Amino acid sequence: MRVSLFVTCLVDQLWPSVGTSAVNVLRRAGCEVEFDQRQTCCGQPAFNTGYRNEARVLARRFIEIFEESKADAIVSPSGSCTAMVHHFRELFAEDEPWRIRAERVAERTHEFASFLVNVLGVDDLGASFSGRVTWHDACHGLRDLNLHSEPRRLIRNVRGVEFVELANADACCGFGGTFSVKYPEISVAILDNKIESIEKAGVRAVVSGDASCLMQIGGRLSRKASPVRAMHLAELLASRE
Amino acid sequence: MIETKIEARQEMLSSIREHLAASARFDAQAAHPQTAQRRTQSNSATDARNGTVLDLFRQALEAVSGHCSIVQSIDEAARAVQQVVDERKARRVAVSDSIVVKRILGQLKTEAVFLDAPNQSELFECDMGITATQWAIAETGTLVLESERERHRLASLVPPVHVAIIEAGRIRRTMSEILQLIKNSEVGLSRTVTFITGPSRTSDIELTLAIGVHGPGELHVIVIDEPAQPA
Amino acid sequence: MNHPTETAEATGYGPPNAFDQNVLKALGDEQLHSALRNLVVTFGSKRQAAINSVEDWEGLRDEARAIKDETLAHLDRYLEEFANNAERAGAQMHWARDGHEVSNIIIRLLHERNAKRVVKSKSMATEEIHLNSALEDAGIETVETDLGEWIIQLACETPSHIVVPAIHKSKKQIADLFVAKIGIEPTDDVAKLTSAARRVLRQRFAEADAGISGVNFGVAETGTILILENEGNIRLTTSLPKIHIAVMGIEKVIPHFADLDVFLKLLPRSGTGQQLTAYQSLITGTKKRPADEGPEELHIILMDNGRSRMLAHPVTRQSLACIRCGACLNACPVYQQIGGHAYGSVYPGPIGAVITPQLIGLSKATQLPYASSLCGACREVCPVKIDIPALLLHLRSEVVEGTAAGSADQKGPVKRKFAERLAFRLYAFAWSRPFLYEWAARIARLAQRLIVRQGRIGKVSGLVARIAPPFGAWTACRDAPPIAQRTFREQWREDSKIK
Repeated sequence: MRVSLFVTCLVDQLWPSVGTSAVNVLRRAGCEVEFDQRQTCCGQPAFNTGYRNEARVLARRFIEIFEESKADAIVSPSGSCTAMVHHFRELFAEDEPWRIRAERVAERTHEFASFLVNVLGVDDLGASFSGRVTWHDACHGLRDLNLHSEPRRLIRNVRGVEFVELANADACCGFGGTFSVKYPEISVAILDNKIESIEKAGVRAVVSGDASCLMQIGGRLSRKASPVRAMHLAELLASRE
Repeated sequence: MIETKIEARQEMLSSIREHLAASARFDAQAAHPQTAQRRTQSNSATDARNGTVLDLFRQALEAVSGHCSIVQSIDEAARAVQQVVDERKARRVAVSDSIVVKRILGQLKTEAVFLDAPNQSELFECDMGITATQWAIAETGTLVLESERERHRLASLVPPVHVAIIEAGRIRRTMSEILQLIKNSEVGLSRTVTFITGPSRTSDIELTLAIGVHGPGELHVIVIDEPAQPA
Repeated sequence: MNHPTETAEATGYGPPNAFDQNVLKALGDEQLHSALRNLVVTFGSKRQAAINSVEDWEGLRDEARAIKDETLAHLDRYLEEFANNAERAGAQMHWARDGHEVSNIIIRLLHERNAKRVVKSKSMATEEIHLNSALEDAGIETVETDLGEWIIQLACETPSHIVVPAIHKSKKQIADLFVAKIGIEPTDDVAKLTSAARRVLRQRFAEADAGISGVNFGVAETGTILILENEGNIRLTTSLPKIHIAVMGIEKVIPHFADLDVFLKLLPRSGTGQQLTAYQSLITGTKKRPADEGPEELHIILMDNGRSRMLAHPVTRQSLACIRCGACLNACPVYQQIGGHAYGSVYPGPIGAVITPQLIGLSKATQLPYASSLCGACREVCPVKIDIPALLLHLRSEVVEGTAAGSADQKGPVKRKFAERLAFRLYAFAWSRPFLYEWAARIARLAQRLIVRQGRIGKVSGLVARIAPPFGAWTACRDAPPIAQRTFREQWREDSKIK
């Protein structure tokens, strides 16, 4: 299976290890991975803030690049960015040719965990990581893409992991894109509910499938000098300690 | 003023039509066409319990703090009513014009005064109301009162205790059956149909449940379940 | 009583466009915080238990949404059918284009009948139009009879939740209020407070000339209005006084009597976690005989007040499917933190964030569509599957583009701040060009040396915060990750192991 990696701007610039881990894991799962260097951003920040014209510019770019790919699938280590690609068609509601192209690209675009479990049928990547670990359901992945059992299956198969379910695993972390800086006080108040339950769970790491959530959760853990690590699922699955 | 009324009506209807028309081109492009089906079958509440309709009714009523007595005859019903009247030391009781209620009243031994058409201030002085009911819904423990059939709207509402008599045969399992029955009743859809599910309540103060607010704080339902007559 | 400026004074919160300040006030309120925690925990578990008691919750939601979609697509026809059938049964129909007309109709009706004392049952539609203050101004004494509504009326406040209006108040605050306003002995016993309310309000019921209610559902097929409650005050309001006036938003109509089954299964469960509320009153016209019980007159006022505009686009039209259950408020992480008054509207929370701007005009509530992390919990719990996040995004694009197609203000666009518009234009320009995208990262990586310490960015200084406010906002409470020393694409290019 040939996969074209949609690495996302956040991972590319801030957490490249998530990208390299994802490539690692996909190869371990038997995929050939290509990376089109022309890619940049899916346009989500613009779309979410109401700047549809600007979002359209980036959406067109994305569509043009990825529709050329001969890969069987486009895979992204981000639920929100994958969901954004699926939303492209709304940006072209009044432009049928582009809408159709958007739909075609969206059909082939998968979120990382979903791709492993639902497309490749793989849930054990031979990873090992010792310690208590919990999962945070990123909102777009959970509610837009119905990701729930897949990450849990993948995590449970990591040798050495003791998986702990958070009571509020599916509660929003408070990021919400520009919301996090437009309403930082509310964002952090929401975040602290999540932090409280993570700390109570006594885990070594909190894992999620979205770098934006990790930035939010990890940023607060770091500010509080917490030993808990915020990890991406790809990093966990690539782990061989 | 009639002109304003007609003008307002016309303007509102036109506004609706205009805006719907404006939506037409977007509807055609709708991203997620809702193809939800209208169900033909009613969606019943889960019923893992295998009970009879009567059992279900009693359980549901008691779950909302209603009292349920099941009796086998009008005489027994009268005894049950007597018990409530005595225990509550009722002195002034508002009653409906139901024949069953009248028969029961005839058997009661009490100093209480029964008022079958109290004026407003008398009504407010009553400590109990006794009425019959036309139907009941088993899955929710609900009483159904049709204003065309009985004068029970205020007797079932104003006094702090409501005693309701019902024949077991008038209990149906689901709400949707009842909706059909009341709409298609031979006296037509009553001008007021009241559904009563337990005593009145509120959680407006710190979400703490308080029973008995404006409506009755106690509901006693007496079900007359006469055994089937041998053929 | 209940004038918008008075309530602002009483609650301490401003209108929707004061949202930013409102938020800070709300977040600092410990009492509110604990009340909201109580709400979330209590309603969360009750709702779940109630849903589990139904065989096919999803099927019910789909069916309800289908009924609403059908109705809204032919709203004019169903409203006419409803009005005709209600009139045939003896109700007097009135049509009101906006809140002022509703108030004027009611004042005229009451003055004509020399009615001076009114009892009211809970109606969000009447809160929306500030009916009580209009009636007071016209010399009509109006008493709210729903316990929660009466509490906020005594306090001169507006409701902070669609279903439990006084949720923001503690038992002690309510007790103090009762001591001050109705002269009871101090107590912290909920039962005692409730019976004090019952005693006082019964007197009002007995003296009332007219009763005003809302309407939960209006059935087109029969002209029936259905109103549900737990306390019994609606039954009293609509049975005792000689005149009953019902205010009904035009979106409340449903086609068939049988449709009530679906909504009666959804609304109590979603709203209060009950299988059914204690009472439902199904009222069709007026009594047939003078000697019968009940009011002599029934007036139903159909109110638009900005609703018909929402029909103009499928995304906004679903706003009108709302059955006012309040479940979205309970599920919303933002509402859970700031409560209802912060929204400056009688409709708070997710549904409020989308209908308030549409009702009062986007320019008067530009911040509300942004008061959300777009988590989607509201959409998940909505009994009629309103896609609130899609609505929020739609409104955000209207704010930016200033099109305001579905909103009250036709004059002038609603522009976002210049700096933000510029930033997004630059972003679209640069981020669509890989060369610029990479160079921006390189430059940022150089510049960040000034602020990166031990591999992360801590709280940035005032100067940096002023140049780049988002940075200041982020780092006030959270560390920020620096741009990586080698980005993924640099690694891909340079490191043969990855390639």
